[in-house]
Amino acid sequence: MTGATAEPAGLGRRAVLGSSAAVGGLAVGSTLGWFGGQAGSPAAPVTPEAVIRQRYSPHELHQAGISTPTPAVTRLLSFRLRTPRVAAELTKLLRLWSGDIEALMAGAPIPGDTAPDMAQAGVSLSVTVGLGPRVFELPGLASRRPSGYVEVPAMAHDRLQDRWSGGDVLAIVAADDPTTVAYASRRLERDAATFATLAWVQGGSWRGTDSAGQPVTGRNLFGQLDGTANPSGADLEAVVWASGPAWFAGGTTLVVRRIELDLDFWDATTRERQEKVIGRRLDSGAPLTGSHERDDLDLTALDAAGRPLIALDAHARRAHPSVNGGRRILRRGLNYTHTEGGHRGVVPSAGLVFLSFQADLANQYLPLQTSLDQRDALHDWTATIGSAVFAIPPGFGPGDWLARGLFEP
Amino acid sequence: MKKSLVTLFTLLALAGCTGGIAAPMTSAGSTPSASAASPIIAEAAWVRATTGATNASMTGAFMSLVNPGETEIRLVGASTSVAPMVQIHEMVSVDGAMVMQEATGGVAIPVGGHLHLKPGSYHVMLMMLKAPLAVGDQVPLTLRFSDGSQLEVNAPVKAFVEEEDHYHSASPSPSMSPSSTGS
Ligand code: HEM
Repeated sequence: MTGATAEPAGLGRRAVLGSSAAVGGLAVGSTLGWFGGQAGSPAAPVTPEAVIRQRYSPHELHQAGISTPTPAVTRLLSFRLRTPRVAAELTKLLRLWSGDIEALMAGAPIPGDTAPDMAQAGVSLSVTVGLGPRVFELPGLASRRPSGYVEVPAMAHDRLQDRWSGGDVLAIVAADDPTTVAYASRRLERDAATFATLAWVQGGSWRGTDSAGQPVTGRNLFGQLDGTANPSGADLEAVVWASGPAWFAGGTTLVVRRIELDLDFWDATTRERQEKVIGRRLDSGAPLTGSHERDDLDLTALDAAGRPLIALDAHARRAHPSVNGGRRILRRGLNYTHTEGGHRGVVPSAGLVFLSFQADLANQYLPLQTSLDQRDALHDWTATIGSAVFAIPPGFGPGDWLARGLFEP
Repeated sequence: MKKSLVTLFTLLALAGCTGGIAAPMTSAGSTPSASAASPIIAEAAWVRATTGATNASMTGAFMSLVNPGETEIRLVGASTSVAPMVQIHEMVSVDGAMVMQEATGGVAIPVGGHLHLKPGSYHVMLMMLKAPLAVGDQVPLTLRFSDGSQLEVNAPVKAFVEEEDHYHSASPSPSMSPSSTGS
């Protein structure tokens, strides 16, 4: 589940640049300066290192960390505001963070950094900030709520725990290495402390490169290639980026699901059944009706006995746009392992921090999730134990701050 | 690191000009005004919060100043709307103890290099603060340089965690020692 498709990052970036004019309601004049100025800046991705050693800029139309490749390490920090009814507290936090993010992503020490020597450029660091549902309950903000930005109701198969759910403000910190992620997370936590407390922290890893360092679709802990059918190019633009309200043009919405995978049961399942559960081969990721990873699924193909080659409950069928009214999402996955000590000893668990980006949560994600909840062969091995939604504002200009247009229209 | 920062911010400033934004950019949320004609670039500016401090009438402003030009320029003064009295301070050793005093001649920003205004070193001292400064507030600063230019910087107020309490323990005199005033 990743945005790291095999196309060079440079392509994605150009597509993103090209979209600025297409976004309705955007104050093009005020953003062209910083946005257009990026072309020759150090933030432009270097093609031979499309996944690792990248430099990302927060001063794009979109925040980084969404359509950019998934680096090795990602951590999500969800905060609850101490005074959720006072907008000024949130805007102070967003202003502080914007300065921090600008510096961190440039590889420079943040203002007041007590560990300035930790800063380093070219480590693919991105910080992506999101706003939880309660933010839009602040006085005057209800009318500026992005359309379709709703909470995900509990699904029949959900086994939700509070400790992995909810939050008012989110920071997603991603980079090539855990040390960078720890450093950047700590700076953001410190500057947030006056205004917010941590609700949960979760994260995971992703291997988006092959042995030669070339970008590839990564694998989840079931061993499946995950992210193959993600939209790219113009499709991605249409699936992910919202065009309004004005402050939100170039933003998107995010669903975070913590999905526990029963690896013991998966290990005990035959490879043939494992492949049938998805409808794709484990080695190449090719559909059971094709021979290459990127081949389209043939949902009508039958075997000699007249049964569908891709089973009726296969995950890739159930999630396929053709059976979901064309609805698509951009998935980004993080593999986690989590170990807790209990009185009976050490209890390991593993899973996927499943991130879904879409312009309209209610009209894209919800019908898809609801349909999968009704029928999906994966259910025997999976349980969703956490859930949260965030509105992800667009990028911000140098010296400006995240989501300012929401508070100062 | 120094070199790459200069390059980066020079590039950013260039991008700003060609892209049609009025002002050159500084990093980290500090916002220069359109009228600032100074060649100096301010990075990572911040002001120490006074909430919870024993002496909330003064505090320090810190930043990194970059001189991308060909001639040495000195930071000679500063002003702000939040405090009527502002001095450029340096730390000097007096009888083996570090004390701060006004840097009456200003402080040089080396050609092609940085001047770090940081805790325990050079800093901009804001005195007789009109109101306490809380984390997340924004302090507008006008910096004055030896070439007659000025630079306006918006510095966020941040918590300060360092143990040593130089910036609250002294009184506003040109030469002061923390030991003489207590804290
Ligand atoms: C339980 C954890 C999950 C696992 C292990 C998993 C795994 C997979 C795999 C292996 C594929 C096929 C390769 C690919 O296209 O990436 C896939 C496709 C897909 N999955 Fe999941 N998935 C999970 C949960 C979800 C959830 C919760 C959703 C949405 C609510 C979802 C939506 C999709 C979609 C939209 C596709 C692409 C279908 C297509 O266009 O062909 N998945 N998933």
